[in-house]
Amino acid sequence: MKQLHLGSLILFTILLAGCYDRTELEEQSYVIAIGVDLTDKNGLYKITFQIANPEVGTSMTGSGPDEPPRETVTVEGTDIISATATANSFVSKELKLDHTKVLVLSEKFARSGDLLRAIQVSSRTKQIRGGVQIIVSKEKARDFIDNNNPKMETRPHKYYQVMLNRASEIGIIPNTDIHRFFQITEGDADLFLAPYASTEIDEKPKENGTEDGYIAGEVPQEGGSRSQFMGSAVFKEGKMIDVLTGAETRIAQTLDNTIDLSDIYSTYEDPVDPNYRVAGAFAKKQNTAIKIDYKENGTTKIDVTVPFEMEIFAIPSLTNYSQNAKNREKLRKSIEDSLTKAAEDLVKKSQEKYETEPFYWSLYVRNNFKTIQEYEKADWNKKIFPHADITITYRLETLEFGKMIDDTHLNEVRD
Amino acid sequence: MFPFSKKKNNSNPNDEPEKVTIYKEIDKNEEYTKKIFSADINKDFTFRTLTANYCQKKTYIFFYSSIVNSEKIYNGIVRPLLEADGKTINNIITIESLTEIKSFDKVFDQINSGKAVVFIDGETTAYSVDVADFQARKVGKAENERSVKGPKEAFTESIGVNVSLLRKRFHNQKLIAQTMLVGSRSKLEVSVMYVSDLVDQEILRNLQKRIESLSVDNISTIELLEQYLEERPYSLFPTILYTERPDYAAQFIEDGYIVLIMDNSSAALILPATFWSFFHSPEDRYSRFLFGNFTRLLRMLAFAITILSSATYIAVTNFHSEMIPPDLLLSITSARERVPIPLFLEVIIMEIAFELIRESGLRIPNPLGPTIGIVGALIIGQAAVEAGIISPIIVIVAALSGLTSFSIANTSLNHSVRISRFLFIISASLFGMLSLVGALVLWVFYMSSVKSFGVSYFAPLSPKYKSTGDMYFRNIIKHEFWRPGQVNPTDKTKKNPNNKGDSTNEKNKFKS
Amino acid sequence: MKKTSLKARELFAILTITVGFKLADTTASNYAQEGKNAFWLMPIVSFLIMIPSLLLLMYLLKKYKNKNLIQLIKKILGKHVGLFVSLIIFLVAYSLLIVDARNYADQIKILYFPESPTPIIQMIFLIVIFYGAKRGLQSIGTSTYITLPYLKISIILLALLIAQSIVWLRIFPIFGDGLGVLLLEGARRGSIFADLFIVTIAYTAFSNSKAFSKGLIFGSLFSWIEITIFFLLYTTVFDYNSIDKRAFLFHDITQYVNFGVFFTNVETFFMVFWLGAAFLRFIILIYLVSWILGETLNLDEFEPLIFPLTFFVFPLSLIAENTITNELSFRNNLFTIATPIFIFMPILLWIVAKSKGELKKI
Repeated sequence: MKQLHLGSLILFTILLAGCYDRTELEEQSYVIAIGVDLTDKNGLYKITFQIANPEVGTSMTGSGPDEPPRETVTVEGTDIISATATANSFVSKELKLDHTKVLVLSEKFARSGDLLRAIQVSSRTKQIRGGVQIIVSKEKARDFIDNNNPKMETRPHKYYQVMLNRASEIGIIPNTDIHRFFQITEGDADLFLAPYASTEIDEKPKENGTEDGYIAGEVPQEGGSRSQFMGSAVFKEGKMIDVLTGAETRIAQTLDNTIDLSDIYSTYEDPVDPNYRVAGAFAKKQNTAIKIDYKENGTTKIDVTVPFEMEIFAIPSLTNYSQNAKNREKLRKSIEDSLTKAAEDLVKKSQEKYETEPFYWSLYVRNNFKTIQEYEKADWNKKIFPHADITITYRLETLEFGKMIDDTHLNEVRD
Repeated sequence: MFPFSKKKNNSNPNDEPEKVTIYKEIDKNEEYTKKIFSADINKDFTFRTLTANYCQKKTYIFFYSSIVNSEKIYNGIVRPLLEADGKTINNIITIESLTEIKSFDKVFDQINSGKAVVFIDGETTAYSVDVADFQARKVGKAENERSVKGPKEAFTESIGVNVSLLRKRFHNQKLIAQTMLVGSRSKLEVSVMYVSDLVDQEILRNLQKRIESLSVDNISTIELLEQYLEERPYSLFPTILYTERPDYAAQFIEDGYIVLIMDNSSAALILPATFWSFFHSPEDRYSRFLFGNFTRLLRMLAFAITILSSATYIAVTNFHSEMIPPDLLLSITSARERVPIPLFLEVIIMEIAFELIRESGLRIPNPLGPTIGIVGALIIGQAAVEAGIISPIIVIVAALSGLTSFSIANTSLNHSVRISRFLFIISASLFGMLSLVGALVLWVFYMSSVKSFGVSYFAPLSPKYKSTGDMYFRNIIKHEFWRPGQVNPTDKTKKNPNNKGDSTNEKNKFKS
Repeated sequence: MKKTSLKARELFAILTITVGFKLADTTASNYAQEGKNAFWLMPIVSFLIMIPSLLLLMYLLKKYKNKNLIQLIKKILGKHVGLFVSLIIFLVAYSLLIVDARNYADQIKILYFPESPTPIIQMIFLIVIFYGAKRGLQSIGTSTYITLPYLKISIILLALLIAQSIVWLRIFPIFGDGLGVLLLEGARRGSIFADLFIVTIAYTAFSNSKAFSKGLIFGSLFSWIEITIFFLLYTTVFDYNSIDKRAFLFHDITQYVNFGVFFTNVETFFMVFWLGAAFLRFIILIYLVSWILGETLNLDEFEPLIFPLTFFVFPLSLIAENTITNELSFRNNLFTIATPIFIFMPILLWIVAKSKGELKKI
């Protein structure tokens, strides 16, 4: 019996003392966003952690309403994981990165080319998952995180989750995570697109007519949160080289089969009455057909067809498109043309300026090679793509007009 | 326990009279009987003297007045002896059973089990007449294994009634109710019931041997017999099915199982038992196919929740907090901020509290019953949370795991499950999922090594046998073709598989 | 060894756990080192190179009736040579087990218990394995069969969840680093199917030899297909340049998937099943290895060997300095050594049996 008592005593001591990896929930704090900025020194970065305050936003009694929903701390460190340890010199609880939703990189940092070095750590530990979203901020990451003060969503993780989901659903930013970053960067053939965001809004917005020809920080806005997500940062070989506008980002995504797109709301020129624009939802139900006719010595031909569907929901010019076949044909052609043109521009830009593409097309040339050596020797981004002969076709499969058969006839109303 | 004393007390008070045969002189018989039964102080030991009419000899009748039917004695013994005329006693006493006995040990046994023993002067034979009338409860409703659909009768504390309850459910001359006696001081009847052309002789022989070899003074109820019969008394899992429902027992009998019933016990033992027989409830079969299986599904869910919910909660929150969705994580964390004790203790406290409420609810005198619920719920639920001793989520977790344990209707398995739960809680708090999964694996291994009368616990799932397929889910009754192969029934076919055994053709008439 | 009432289904379960489960450990990354994005083709090669020997062994077992692997070896090769060959088989099987055990302990530590020391995790692991193996073959078969559906459901669920992240074109260039590399390296790793040979030690314990053959054939085919499909999944999720950089492809995938927006980090869910399978796997292996040793040494009861054999896994598995050397150097070399042994052992047996003329006699 004595032994039994002793045994249970030991057991309880072990239980209460805790084993190596046991941590009580309240002894941890949960990082929602990580920001990385450059410092003057090489290899040393300013790393910002945004920590969620669990007591805000619950119905628990006694929580201080004065407490802010989040705390933001910045430390200097060589990588993200070791920075958490440094941060603990003034944050009382152990920082856990498991619930991190976004990784914010300042544009400066992204352009410096150190990105791979700083986030390499994420594939070595499991704390930062492949699903974490990368955001490139125009300003310093710390400022971006600080200024991100959503009015409606008090809990920061919810905010990032909802914001990014919605913005990428409508296509103005790419939905790309660390996993994709590694696949593309290590694949060393294509460009990686990351969402571009800013909280510093230009006081004098650029006037360029359409609703998505902006990049973040340029969108005219009144009220609401000060952060804008628009456009994408272009990474080549782990280094940021350019920014695409929202419109270009959309086009790039329609050309890429590895990204799921839902409806993209956008406006197109009204072919009958050029003063107005037609608004519609672009939907890609089928995969883009990408045919690459690879010639070892000579110009490779790339033939891309994007089948899509369009649902028109606003015709401010009140032109009768739905019943007039001729008009409808015009509209169809105009939409197809405008998309094709935009795509061609983007492709041209990537051929000439970037020398490779952000559409993940390198996949389609691979089946011409039997081994990796042959494939790497053929060199997609230096030899094949920049000199390829590319034709792009947007094919409107179905054109819908919403639930109205006809618009109100303005002239009749004004009688 | 300590020290292990190997000395055995072999002196048995019943040894002595065994050799004594009945004397010719009736007075000697009388004197001896009275002495043994301490007639002067034993109030309900009764005897009567009379002169039998048919032979004009002095006659003694001995019995316990408390366990016999006095009317039967008067009409069946006293009156015939006084009035009737005939040659032998067999023609005088016409009551259903009349046994001749030669030795005194039988005399005592007979009197003890409610018979009247008649001594006649000058004869070395005594006669025992069955006039027993033990007091017993009427057949009542099943209290612990209730059902909505299905018969409501339950076993009662009389072996005769219980045998009758089973016989009325299975009308067949091969249904044997073999009586065996257990106990050396107080001999009680155990009825081993089986269908002789179905039961596996080996299991039956094994059981009979086990019962015969019991050397104890007294086994008063079937619950004690269960513990004498089982193979591994320290085992966490029961190996003999205990039920108070005759209809459930009858189901097993016709599948080739053996049912034990015993005097003074309002339940039956069914063996061999498998995990499935504990897991199932008779109502699963009474309900229609879909309804019964829906209940099964719920029970499986409840089984999983009750065993693992608290343990998983500890493992996940203490070791794998990344798994919890952020919203939930933040609310659990905020609830935990002001709780003074570690999460593991919180869970243990609540689980123990729940078990305490349950136990006291069971023992509390009936009129006080409702208070336990109110007090329990109030104190544990609300006050403790408001006082900040435990966090509200623990209440949900503990209540869930406690409540779901009730859906395991079988009392034996219920205990196994509740104890297992604590084992898992402790293992989860050692190394999170690593130790929890380890414990779970060992638990399954342990379970699959359990055997009941040579039958594996998980049979017929594995090892596989031909059976009705009634394991996780049951089949459509019409498609139950085979008796459970694990009990090795002599007749394996329940129904010819080629003949659906129903009126399909007749039904199709109405289909279109 | 006494007979158990195990049938084909239990053997199927045992094989899917011991062999098929290699889809979820470091075997995948071991293959990917050489095969790159074409490494999913390598198990096909590995399997095909092992299958003739396996069938030959099954043929011999059937011919000789009521002899298990070691008894067969001893019967054919005689007492001394038989003992030697049996010892080699034991050593290979045991070393494979030790290296694997270290591997699993490392995976658990690195991924889920970063602050706990490997020895402690190894110890817990071994304690569970020891008590599990103590329960005997019948129990092992039953438990494995009972738990198999849950393990498989979790695997299928994972495959379904990851399906949306698949990019099929990543399988091109189809031959990765070249067909020659695939064939050679695939063949070299034939011993990932060594467990198929080891399990024949239980040949006589099953209810009949037909059930054994049935279980072996279905079990090995299923495991092989399963492994190939999962390797294909890894290839299509990770590109050729990333795949050889990851040590734990299975866990990388579980970390990447999510159940909708609400449950984003679900790797622990899959880890539970993975861990359960790992426990089962080592329980089976340690039991079989103890059996082989017991039979080799002609012991009546081999179960007392389970304890020392489990115990020695502990110091031996900790020899390797870290998981990378363990995997890429120890395990790799072991594969190379073990493959020819398992390939030629049945052939040797057959030749000797044939020359002795025993095959016709029986």
